[in-house]
Amino acid sequence: MIRRKGLNICLLGFLILSAGCAPISETTLRPGSPNDLPGCYAIFPVGPWESVHRIEATFRGNSSSLLGVTTGEPSERRLQSLLLTPEGFILFDAELSEGGIAVRKAVAPFDSPAFARGLMEDVSLLFLPPQVKPTAWAKETDGTMICNWEDRDDSHTEITGSMDGGWRILRQNKKGKVIKKIILNGPFVNGLASRIELRAFKPAPYRLRMILVQPSP
Amino acid sequence: MKKILFLSVLVTMGLLSATPALSQDWISLKESFRNIRSVKAEFVQKRYLKILTKPLLSEGKLFLYIPDSLRWEYLNPLRSVMLQKGNTIQIYNFSEGVWKPEMAQAVEARRMVLAEISQWFQGRFDESKAFKHLYSPGPPARVTMVPGEGINRFILRIEIVLSAKPGVIDRVEIEEPEGSRTSIEFRNVEINSSFSSEVFEKP
Repeated sequence: MIRRKGLNICLLGFLILSAGCAPISETTLRPGSPNDLPGCYAIFPVGPWESVHRIEATFRGNSSSLLGVTTGEPSERRLQSLLLTPEGFILFDAELSEGGIAVRKAVAPFDSPAFARGLMEDVSLLFLPPQVKPTAWAKETDGTMICNWEDRDDSHTEITGSMDGGWRILRQNKKGKVIKKIILNGPFVNGLASRIELRAFKPAPYRLRMILVQPSP
Repeated sequence: MKKILFLSVLVTMGLLSATPALSQDWISLKESFRNIRSVKAEFVQKRYLKILTKPLLSEGKLFLYIPDSLRWEYLNPLRSVMLQKGNTIQIYNFSEGVWKPEMAQAVEARRMVLAEISQWFQGRFDESKAFKHLYSPGPPARVTMVPGEGINRFILRIEIVLSAKPGVIDRVEIEEPEGSRTSIEFRNVEINSSFSSEVFEKP
């Protein structure tokens, strides 16, 4: 009897552990209603757009305040991003397109290829939807959307939220570890969130806080 | 031959008459800055970028004590301040409710800009190491600063538009390659008003 009880506890423990390891979204989500699918793209601007953000970047305990200017052409999956000092000096200027990243200007300490790649990845994650269709999505009764994308390299993007309650983007690597977490809060102006917080965990941790100061269509 | 000689005389006379007039204006201009001991002003900066349809607007304040103390402060959209006292330059950003020292970003470029601004407000346009100056008596009178080799990769020219009020700068226009430019308009300019020297030491 004692042995059986012990076995049951082990089984229970195994089940709890198994449930804990499995991503909840994968077990509960399937391709949802086609009517709900557009909700997965609600946070991404549709037409050509431009924005100016106040950016507070924290990296290795140091913080820095910059202005970020970004323009986007979603139909061509093209983004251009500039980082400026408060006086208007351009520290970094790069364009992301189907052809890759073209750096026009980069002043130290923003002149490494790794920085350019990382920044344009962040901008892309924020403003361009994944290129593939979501693998699973659902709309909850309160209007909250849950959308999952799996990339070709087995990495994973999850977007959850609503226009009223704000949104969260989680980016996981192929091992299932969260490498980036983004919180977007409204009000949304011309499709752009007023406040964004991006936390990167791997390979190097850093935090970006972005406040929309100048949106334009 | 006589015609050519006549034309040459006319041109020479014209040049001779223009040069002293220009010099006189230039001397008057330099004179108008001579008695300036301090400047306090507000400014509106418009940054025109090729990729933006509307300029990026910033507002700030300026404090200057002749010869080498300057506070150049942005209030919007980023709160940031550059402090110069003698050869020391400090840059702070207001973040999460406190002033934080800035990481080294384009510090040399910012140092150069502070030095130039400080010289302009003292009327020392002809003392710039990086720019040559051209004076146009106007109205409005203006000084065009033309950069030397190297800097001209980033700045094509700077135009300083002077106020009718002696020793006051109305506007600075900075023109860059590829169509970008910056316009800084000064408002509520106070000459020789007194303020605490702490403004150059603490953010």
